[in-house]
Amino acid sequence: MTSLRIAAGLLAVALAASAHAQAPNDAQIAAIVVTANQVDIDAGKVAEAHTQSAEVKKFAQQMVTDHTAVNKSATDLAGKLKLTPEDNPTAQSLKKGGEDNVANLKTLKGAAFDKAYIDHEVAYHQAVLDALDKTLIPNARNEELKALMVKVRPAFVAHLDHAKMLQAQLGKSGA
Amino acid sequence: MLERRRALVALLAAGAGTCLAAPRGTGGAAASGAAPASSAAPARTVAIEGMAFSPAALTVRRGERITWVNRDLVPHTVTARDGSFDSGGIAAGASWSTVAARAGHLDYACTFHPTMTASLVVR
Repeated sequence: MTSLRIAAGLLAVALAASAHAQAPNDAQIAAIVVTANQVDIDAGKVAEAHTQSAEVKKFAQQMVTDHTAVNKSATDLAGKLKLTPEDNPTAQSLKKGGEDNVANLKTLKGAAFDKAYIDHEVAYHQAVLDALDKTLIPNARNEELKALMVKVRPAFVAHLDHAKMLQAQLGKSGA
Repeated sequence: MLERRRALVALLAAGAGTCLAAPRGTGGAAASGAAPASSAAPARTVAIEGMAFSPAALTVRRGERITWVNRDLVPHTVTARDGSFDSGGIAAGASWSTVAARAGHLDYACTFHPTMTASLVVR
Protein backbone atom coordinates (compact mmCIF):
# COMPACT_ATOMS: atom_id res chain seq x y z
CA MET A 1 0.00 0.00 0.00
CA THR A 2 2.77 2.39 0.90
CA SER A 3 4.59 1.56 -2.30
CA LEU A 4 1.41 2.30 -4.22
CA ARG A 5 1.00 5.68 -2.57
CA ILE A 6 4.60 6.44 -3.46
CA ALA A 7 4.03 5.29 -7.03
CA ALA A 8 0.95 7.46 -7.40
CA GLY A 9 2.80 10.35 -5.82
CA LEU A 10 5.72 9.90 -8.19
CA LEU A 11 3.34 9.93 -11.12
CA ALA A 12 1.89 13.23 -9.99
CA VAL A 13 5.36 14.65 -9.44
CA ALA A 14 6.52 13.43 -12.86
CA LEU A 15 3.63 15.14 -14.59
CA ALA A 16 3.80 18.29 -12.50
CA ALA A 17 7.57 18.55 -12.95
CA SER A 18 7.08 19.06 -16.66
CA ALA A 19 5.34 22.32 -15.84
CA HIS A 20 8.58 23.65 -14.43
CA ALA A 21 10.88 22.06 -16.95
CA GLN A 22 11.25 23.27 -20.49
CA ALA A 23 7.86 23.50 -22.15
CA PRO A 24 7.21 20.39 -24.23
CA ASN A 25 6.87 20.72 -27.99
CA ASP A 26 3.99 19.20 -29.94
CA ALA A 27 5.88 15.99 -30.73
CA GLN A 28 6.66 15.54 -27.03
CA ILE A 29 3.08 16.35 -26.05
CA ALA A 30 1.89 13.67 -28.49
CA ALA A 31 4.21 11.14 -26.83
CA ILE A 32 2.96 12.13 -23.37
CA VAL A 33 -0.69 11.79 -24.42
CA VAL A 34 -0.18 8.39 -26.04
CA THR A 35 1.87 7.09 -23.10
CA ALA A 36 -0.63 8.40 -20.54
CA ASN A 37 -3.44 6.53 -22.29
CA GLN A 38 -1.37 3.39 -22.79
CA VAL A 39 -0.44 3.01 -19.12
CA ASP A 40 -4.09 3.17 -18.15
CA ILE A 41 -4.99 0.60 -20.81
CA ASP A 42 -2.28 -1.69 -19.39
CA ALA A 43 -3.50 -1.25 -15.81
CA GLY A 44 -7.10 -1.82 -16.96
CA LYS A 45 -6.19 -5.11 -18.64
CA VAL A 46 -4.52 -6.34 -15.45
CA ALA A 47 -7.54 -5.29 -13.41
CA GLU A 48 -10.00 -6.96 -15.81
CA ALA A 49 -8.13 -10.23 -15.38
CA HIS A 50 -7.53 -10.04 -11.62
CA THR A 51 -10.44 -8.32 -9.92
CA GLN A 52 -13.27 -10.30 -8.37
CA SER A 53 -15.55 -7.28 -8.19
CA ALA A 54 -18.10 -6.88 -10.99
CA GLU A 55 -18.07 -3.10 -10.55
CA VAL A 56 -14.28 -2.83 -10.68
CA LYS A 57 -14.19 -5.12 -13.70
CA LYS A 58 -16.73 -2.96 -15.52
CA PHE A 59 -14.73 0.16 -14.73
CA ALA A 60 -11.49 -1.48 -15.89
CA GLN A 61 -13.09 -2.56 -19.17
CA GLN A 62 -14.32 0.98 -19.67
CA MET A 63 -10.83 2.37 -19.12
CA VAL A 64 -9.49 0.01 -21.78
CA THR A 65 -12.29 0.95 -24.22
CA ASP A 66 -12.12 4.70 -23.68
CA HIS A 67 -8.36 5.14 -23.53
CA THR A 68 -7.98 2.92 -26.60
CA ALA A 69 -10.44 5.18 -28.44
CA VAL A 70 -8.62 8.31 -27.30
CA ASN A 71 -5.28 6.87 -28.36
CA LYS A 72 -6.64 5.98 -31.76
CA SER A 73 -7.74 9.59 -32.23
CA ALA A 74 -4.36 10.83 -31.00
CA THR A 75 -2.33 8.56 -33.29
CA ASP A 76 -4.64 9.32 -36.24
CA LEU A 77 -4.12 13.04 -35.66
CA ALA A 78 -0.36 12.63 -35.23
CA GLY A 79 -0.29 10.76 -38.55
CA LYS A 80 -2.33 13.44 -40.27
CA LEU A 81 -0.09 16.19 -38.88
CA LYS A 82 3.04 14.17 -39.68
CA LEU A 83 3.93 14.54 -36.03
CA THR A 84 6.22 11.76 -34.83
CA PRO A 85 5.78 11.36 -31.06
CA GLU A 86 9.10 12.25 -29.43
CA ASP A 87 10.16 10.47 -26.28
CA ASN A 88 10.89 12.74 -23.33
CA PRO A 89 11.44 12.56 -19.56
CA THR A 90 7.73 13.06 -18.74
CA ALA A 91 6.64 10.26 -21.06
CA GLN A 92 9.39 8.04 -19.64
CA SER A 93 8.31 8.74 -16.04
CA LEU A 94 4.73 7.95 -16.98
CA LYS A 95 5.79 4.68 -18.55
CA LYS A 96 7.91 3.76 -15.51
CA GLY A 97 5.06 4.74 -13.16
CA GLY A 98 2.68 2.55 -15.16
CA GLU A 99 5.05 -0.42 -15.05
CA ASP A 100 5.56 -0.01 -11.30
CA ASN A 101 1.81 0.16 -10.79
CA VAL A 102 1.20 -3.03 -12.77
CA ALA A 103 4.04 -4.81 -10.93
CA ASN A 104 2.54 -3.76 -7.59
CA LEU A 105 -0.97 -4.81 -8.62
CA LYS A 106 0.22 -8.27 -9.60
CA THR A 107 1.36 -8.88 -6.01
CA LEU A 108 -2.12 -8.19 -4.62
CA LYS A 109 -5.42 -10.07 -4.40
CA GLY A 110 -9.07 -9.52 -3.55
CA ALA A 111 -10.01 -6.34 -1.73
CA ALA A 112 -6.40 -5.18 -1.49
CA PHE A 113 -6.07 -5.45 -5.26
CA ASP A 114 -9.28 -3.50 -5.90
CA LYS A 115 -8.32 -0.76 -3.47
CA ALA A 116 -4.82 -0.41 -4.92
CA TYR A 117 -6.10 -0.31 -8.49
CA ILE A 118 -8.86 2.20 -7.80
CA ASP A 119 -6.69 4.41 -5.56
CA HIS A 120 -4.16 4.57 -8.35
CA GLU A 121 -6.85 5.33 -10.92
CA VAL A 122 -7.99 8.31 -8.83
CA ALA A 123 -4.43 9.62 -8.49
CA TYR A 124 -3.63 8.92 -12.14
CA HIS A 125 -6.65 10.69 -13.59
CA GLN A 126 -6.14 13.66 -11.29
CA ALA A 127 -2.48 13.88 -12.29
CA VAL A 128 -3.28 13.69 -16.00
CA LEU A 129 -5.95 16.38 -15.64
CA ASP A 130 -3.46 18.64 -13.88
CA ALA A 131 -0.93 18.02 -16.63
CA LEU A 132 -3.51 18.73 -19.35
CA ASP A 133 -4.50 22.00 -17.71
CA LYS A 134 -1.11 23.27 -16.63
CA THR A 135 1.25 21.95 -19.27
CA LEU A 136 -0.11 20.04 -22.23
CA ILE A 137 -3.02 22.20 -23.41
CA PRO A 138 -1.30 25.57 -22.76
CA ASN A 139 1.87 24.51 -24.60
CA ALA A 140 0.33 22.84 -27.64
CA ARG A 141 1.06 24.95 -30.67
CA ASN A 142 -0.93 23.05 -33.25
CA GLU A 143 -4.61 23.97 -32.93
CA GLU A 144 -5.87 20.49 -33.80
CA LEU A 145 -3.64 18.91 -31.16
CA LYS A 146 -4.87 21.44 -28.62
CA ALA A 147 -8.49 20.85 -29.68
CA LEU A 148 -8.10 17.09 -29.31
CA MET A 149 -6.87 17.48 -25.73
CA VAL A 150 -9.69 19.89 -24.92
CA LYS A 151 -12.11 17.34 -26.39
CA VAL A 152 -10.78 14.40 -24.37
CA ARG A 153 -10.47 16.32 -21.09
CA PRO A 154 -14.10 15.64 -20.02
CA ALA A 155 -13.45 11.89 -20.35
CA PHE A 156 -10.69 12.17 -17.75
CA VAL A 157 -13.05 14.11 -15.47
CA ALA A 158 -15.77 11.46 -15.87
CA HIS A 159 -13.26 8.67 -15.22
CA LEU A 160 -11.94 10.47 -12.14
CA ASP A 161 -15.47 10.87 -10.76
CA HIS A 162 -16.29 7.24 -11.56
CA ALA A 163 -13.09 6.08 -9.81
CA LYS A 164 -13.93 8.23 -6.78
CA MET A 165 -17.41 6.66 -6.63
CA LEU A 166 -15.84 3.20 -6.58
CA GLN A 167 -13.23 4.34 -4.05
CA ALA A 168 -16.03 5.43 -1.71
CA GLN A 169 -17.90 2.12 -2.22
CA LEU A 170 -14.79 0.04 -1.60
CA GLY A 171 -14.04 2.12 1.49
CA LYS A 172 -17.45 1.24 2.90
CA SER A 173 -17.43 -2.45 2.03
CA GLY A 174 -13.83 -2.87 3.18
CA ALA A 175 -14.43 -1.22 6.56
CA MET B 1 -36.39 9.34 -48.99
CA LEU B 2 -38.95 11.42 -47.12
CA GLU B 3 -41.59 8.78 -47.65
CA ARG B 4 -39.21 6.18 -46.32
CA ARG B 5 -38.37 8.29 -43.30
CA ARG B 6 -42.00 8.93 -42.53
CA ALA B 7 -42.80 5.27 -42.91
CA LEU B 8 -39.92 4.45 -40.58
CA VAL B 9 -41.17 6.90 -37.99
CA ALA B 10 -44.64 5.40 -38.25
CA LEU B 11 -43.20 1.93 -37.86
CA LEU B 12 -41.15 2.97 -34.86
CA ALA B 13 -44.12 4.69 -33.32
CA ALA B 14 -46.32 1.67 -33.88
CA GLY B 15 -43.64 -0.62 -32.55
CA ALA B 16 -43.29 1.49 -29.43
CA GLY B 17 -46.98 1.08 -28.70
CA THR B 18 -48.26 4.51 -29.66
CA CYS B 19 -50.48 5.42 -32.56
CA LEU B 20 -50.01 9.18 -32.37
CA ALA B 21 -47.49 9.50 -35.15
CA ALA B 22 -48.81 6.73 -37.33
CA PRO B 23 -51.59 8.58 -39.20
CA ARG B 24 -49.08 11.17 -40.40
CA GLY B 25 -47.11 8.45 -42.09
CA THR B 26 -49.84 8.21 -44.72
CA GLY B 27 -48.94 11.64 -46.06
CA GLY B 28 -52.40 13.06 -45.48
CA ALA B 29 -51.25 15.47 -42.79
CA ALA B 30 -48.30 16.73 -44.79
CA ALA B 31 -50.53 17.40 -47.77
CA SER B 32 -52.40 20.04 -45.80
CA GLY B 33 -49.42 22.34 -46.25
CA ALA B 34 -49.48 23.40 -42.61
CA ALA B 35 -45.99 22.02 -42.15
CA PRO B 36 -43.36 20.51 -44.41
CA ALA B 37 -43.11 16.75 -44.32
CA SER B 38 -39.82 16.84 -42.41
CA SER B 39 -41.35 18.65 -39.45
CA ALA B 40 -44.47 16.50 -39.55
CA ALA B 41 -42.19 13.80 -38.17
CA PRO B 42 -40.56 15.82 -35.41
CA ALA B 43 -36.96 14.96 -34.73
CA ARG B 44 -35.61 16.07 -31.41
CA THR B 45 -31.88 15.79 -30.94
CA VAL B 46 -29.77 15.33 -27.83
CA ALA B 47 -26.03 15.77 -28.25
CA ILE B 48 -23.71 13.48 -26.32
CA GLU B 49 -20.65 15.64 -26.02
CA GLY B 50 -18.00 16.30 -23.41
CA MET B 51 -19.22 13.27 -21.44
CA ALA B 52 -22.65 14.83 -20.96
CA PHE B 53 -26.12 14.80 -22.50
CA SER B 54 -27.13 18.14 -23.90
CA PRO B 55 -29.75 19.26 -23.14
CA ALA B 56 -29.72 17.38 -19.85
CA ALA B 57 -33.48 17.81 -19.54
CA LEU B 58 -35.70 17.57 -22.61
CA THR B 59 -39.46 17.81 -22.92
CA VAL B 60 -41.08 16.11 -25.90
CA ARG B 61 -44.54 15.15 -27.01
CA ARG B 62 -45.68 11.59 -27.00
CA GLY B 63 -44.93 10.05 -30.37
CA GLU B 64 -41.98 12.32 -31.09
CA ARG B 65 -38.78 10.78 -32.24
CA ILE B 66 -35.67 11.59 -30.22
CA THR B 67 -32.20 11.12 -31.64
CA TRP B 68 -29.01 11.02 -29.59
CA VAL B 69 -25.84 11.91 -31.49
CA ASN B 70 -22.54 10.81 -29.98
CA ARG B 71 -20.03 13.57 -30.68
CA ASP B 72 -17.48 12.21 -28.21
CA LEU B 73 -14.48 10.07 -29.05
CA VAL B 74 -15.65 7.25 -26.79
CA PRO B 75 -18.75 5.01 -26.91
CA HIS B 76 -21.80 5.78 -24.77
CA THR B 77 -25.24 4.34 -24.09
CA VAL B 78 -28.67 5.90 -23.64
CA THR B 79 -30.34 3.71 -21.04
CA ALA B 80 -33.64 4.39 -19.29
CA ARG B 81 -33.62 3.78 -15.54
CA ASP B 82 -37.01 2.08 -15.78
CA GLY B 83 -35.77 -0.26 -18.49
CA SER B 84 -38.07 1.11 -21.17
CA PHE B 85 -35.20 1.62 -23.62
CA ASP B 86 -31.52 0.86 -23.94
CA SER B 87 -29.47 1.86 -26.94
CA GLY B 88 -26.58 -0.48 -26.22
CA GLY B 89 -23.19 0.97 -27.18
CA ILE B 90 -23.34 4.00 -29.50
CA ALA B 91 -19.96 4.34 -31.19
CA ALA B 92 -18.15 7.66 -31.50
CA GLY B 93 -19.80 9.65 -34.26
CA ALA B 94 -22.86 7.37 -34.42
CA SER B 95 -26.42 8.09 -33.35
CA TRP B 96 -29.44 6.24 -32.00
CA SER B 97 -33.09 7.14 -31.87
CA THR B 98 -36.32 6.07 -30.27
CA VAL B 99 -39.88 7.28 -30.12
CA ALA B 100 -41.29 8.66 -26.88
CA ALA B 101 -43.97 6.08 -26.24
CA ARG B 102 -45.37 6.84 -22.80
CA ALA B 103 -46.14 10.11 -21.09
CA GLY B 104 -44.27 10.85 -17.89
CA HIS B 105 -40.89 11.69 -16.42
CA LEU B 106 -38.06 9.38 -17.26
CA ASP B 107 -34.44 9.40 -16.06
CA TYR B 108 -31.76 7.91 -18.21
CA ALA B 109 -28.01 7.46 -18.05
CA CYS B 110 -24.96 6.12 -19.83
CA THR B 111 -24.25 2.70 -18.36
CA PHE B 112 -20.58 3.04 -19.28
CA HIS B 113 -20.14 6.36 -17.46
CA PRO B 114 -22.30 6.61 -14.33
CA THR B 115 -21.70 10.34 -13.99
CA MET B 116 -23.66 10.91 -17.21
CA THR B 117 -27.31 11.31 -16.32
CA ALA B 118 -30.22 13.18 -17.90
CA SER B 119 -33.99 13.17 -18.07
CA LEU B 120 -36.91 13.25 -20.47
CA VAL B 121 -40.38 14.56 -19.88
CA VAL B 122 -42.91 13.09 -22.31
CA ARG B 123 -46.19 15.00 -22.49
